[in-house]
Amino acid sequence: MLHESYYMYNWVETTHVLSLMMSLGMLFFIDLRMLGIALPKVPATIIARRLRLPMFIGFGLMIITGLLLFYAIPVRSAQSVWFRIKLLLLLGAGVNALVFHYRMKQSVASWDSAPQAPQNIRSGALLSLLFWTSIVICGRLIAYDWYDCSREQSGLVSVFAGCIEGQVQF
Amino acid sequence: MPLSLLSSYLRSIATIGLIALVLGFVFSSLRISAWDALLPLFEWMETTWFGVIGKTWGAAFAVVEAMHLLAMALLGGAIIIADGRLLGVLLRDVPVQIILSKTHRLFVIGLCIAIASGIFMACGVAMKIYYLPVYWFKMLALTAGVLFTFFIRRPLLADGIEKLNPWLVRTVAVASLTVWFTVAATGRWIGFSG
Repeated sequence: MLHESYYMYNWVETTHVLSLMMSLGMLFFIDLRMLGIALPKVPATIIARRLRLPMFIGFGLMIITGLLLFYAIPVRSAQSVWFRIKLLLLLGAGVNALVFHYRMKQSVASWDSAPQAPQNIRSGALLSLLFWTSIVICGRLIAYDWYDCSREQSGLVSVFAGCIEGQVQF
Repeated sequence: MPLSLLSSYLRSIATIGLIALVLGFVFSSLRISAWDALLPLFEWMETTWFGVIGKTWGAAFAVVEAMHLLAMALLGGAIIIADGRLLGVLLRDVPVQIILSKTHRLFVIGLCIAIASGIFMACGVAMKIYYLPVYWFKMLALTAGVLFTFFIRRPLLADGIEKLNPWLVRTVAVASLTVWFTVAATGRWIGFSG
């Protein structure tokens, strides 16, 4: 029903994009601070702690709207190759965030005010930027139907997308 | 009123006048004739390399769309941090001028990438967007945002916020957040229309 409602669906998707602006915007600044590009004179802990709340609010909204978008077209989304890659990348980004947080907590006292973080923290920040760039690209590609089960697909794509033989509803 | 009192606000007054002119143009019959005159430009855009690539390779178009979104995230981050600081809700322990100057650089980078990727995307779907009212609303919001940021917000805050009325600072921050979120929302809405 959500998918059939022109305004509701579009508002949910627009909110998804606006919350992405908020969460990724904050995440970019945290990662760029660690790389010494954004606000290098401000201690890293201040940037990380103060931007964490708006980042999590943005992520919360993004997850809620993302779940609603999935719920609107569950079969097509679940069988989308891009959606599946996106989930794997989200998992990778989550693990990377945990490792990043742990490493930062361990060592931040020794480099907090330095313009650049140590090598291992910088690698985590770079990896985070790569993960999220790929997640956004995959998210955008979900809208395209090149590898949808409703079209004829090669064996490998069919297996990865979870296409069911004889399936008539998508 | 002595002219010297106005002199420090001349750029802001000129920009407000320009925005009023643009709005007057948008809501008058001049808009229709200008719109007709722009048709050859949009027809030409579809024949450019960008237009051909955008129409032929869907994957290239999608990747540029994603770059556009990422640029908007960078721009949005810069706006939220700077305006959040002006509103006193973010990074209160960091001086305003540091936040404003450092976020502005990344805002400009985000804006340049968003405009470059936006031109590419517009070439690929030029005739579609030409007939979409929401595209023109986005262009209006973008123009207002750029003028507001470079000719009102930045000059107004250049000498620090200590001497300014706190309510003026808050109003500038809310206006900035509103205009850029409108740009993003109308931009997303283009995809649903037509």
